[in-house]
Amino acid sequence: MVLSAPPRYFHCTAFWHTLRFCAKCSQKNFLRAQMKTPVCVVRLPRGPDPHGRGFDPTSPRYLALCPSSLSTSGEADPVALRTEQRTRAMMRERFLRCLFSMANKKIQFLMYEKVKVAGVFGASDIDVLNFQVSDLQTPIGVQTEALIRCQDVISYSFDM
Amino acid sequence: MAMRQTPLTCSGHTRPVVDLAFSGITPFGYFLISACKDGKPMLRQGDTGDWIGTFLGHKGAVWGATLNTDATKAATAAADFTAKVWDAVSGAEVLTLAHKHIVKSVHFTKDSNCLLTGGNDKVIRIYDLNQPEEAPQEIPGHTASIKRALWCHDDKHILSASEDRTVRLWDRNIPEAVKTLSFDTSVSSMEYLADGDVVLITYGKTIAFYNAHSLELIKTIVTPANIHSASLHPEKDFIVAGGDDFKLYKYDYGTSEELESYKGHFGPVHCVRFSPDGELYASGSEDGTLRLWQTAVGKTYGLWKCVLPEDLVSENPEPLYPVPAEIKA
Repeated sequence: MVLSAPPRYFHCTAFWHTLRFCAKCSQKNFLRAQMKTPVCVVRLPRGPDPHGRGFDPTSPRYLALCPSSLSTSGEADPVALRTEQRTRAMMRERFLRCLFSMANKKIQFLMYEKVKVAGVFGASDIDVLNFQVSDLQTPIGVQTEALIRCQDVISYSFDM
Repeated sequence: MAMRQTPLTCSGHTRPVVDLAFSGITPFGYFLISACKDGKPMLRQGDTGDWIGTFLGHKGAVWGATLNTDATKAATAAADFTAKVWDAVSGAEVLTLAHKHIVKSVHFTKDSNCLLTGGNDKVIRIYDLNQPEEAPQEIPGHTASIKRALWCHDDKHILSASEDRTVRLWDRNIPEAVKTLSFDTSVSSMEYLADGDVVLITYGKTIAFYNAHSLELIKTIVTPANIHSASLHPEKDFIVAGGDDFKLYKYDYGTSEELESYKGHFGPVHCVRFSPDGELYASGSEDGTLRLWQTAVGKTYGLWKCVLPEDLVSENPEPLYPVPAEIKA
């Protein structure tokens, strides 16, 4: 957006928006004395991403500061580090395949407070914070659609 | 050239923003954390307000939030009776510290080794973050909920403000309060500035400054409205305050003169803080937004750009924008 040029009856652009009289030629102007220009901004602050919880792993700060979450290994041995990384990648892949194979299967969840419920698994969210389940059998009835909070789950089991 | 303040609105929260805190200045800039009744505290880049991430895990309203000096750790206090410590780089939850009631305030020591908590169970607790399974050191004494508990004097003392209308100074090794300040009404906020050893306390329509060692009154400023929070500029030039009338007030610290007041929020202002470099201040409100305000209006900083009148009338201006009406990010 371009702010419009000052009206023609201003003679001096330096003071056009504050003074009643042009400082250079004493000509009267008819604009209100106290019109202030709002400060311009380059853009607005970026808002949250609706699809995730943020903390971009490709950001410079993350790459510089985040330990690789390999809390078990020391930095000394690069060979051991590589083996551990390979093992972790394999475990992660196995976990993701497990989630995939759970789709539309009946799962039994063991949760805190001695809660045991069963339901048909739908999907997990990207951060594995919630599981979407259908026909959740609970002591107070069957819930057609439900979200199970993963941090409340101790373990779950299903037939492959 | 007089310019009108353009606040930058940071949206994303869905409920009132009740607390916010800046980190120190790090090699990656400085950061801002906001506590919200929607239970999802957010981390933002301090100078632009850009969202970085949301800390997910609390099951109730988050009443207090803080960052350590280098913004590698965050701590939050919530109505789910827990305080949580987070990795502020990855957003992962590191520790959950169970309490017996709503937790209202969290504060790291300078070395980030200890966390101070206070809440509705009236007891100040000090957790050793390197030994989290150990029981915390407890400092009882307040007779009503603790609103805020802060480390001061190089983490040797603790300042606490409570609904029992007292502010108390504690030595962590002594069970009784070293000094107590009593008020006729509830204290709405408390801030400590190490440089100058000043405590800023707000109650009713008053902003008061005390010496942090002796708790002697230095000065008071009376404002037009009930103030919920105030902040002193790092170089002690200005005070900003906000409260019930939705406005932000700016005072000169030396003369106690009101310099400016700004409208912008659509609800009472719950928290105001200056950034660590003093170039801007952030306010959190009942309307669910955070707003960033310039200390020196018109200066080029962060997302604000100083534009001279000649540039305004030029043929091909840069893509600068006046801030449009409320946009939901």
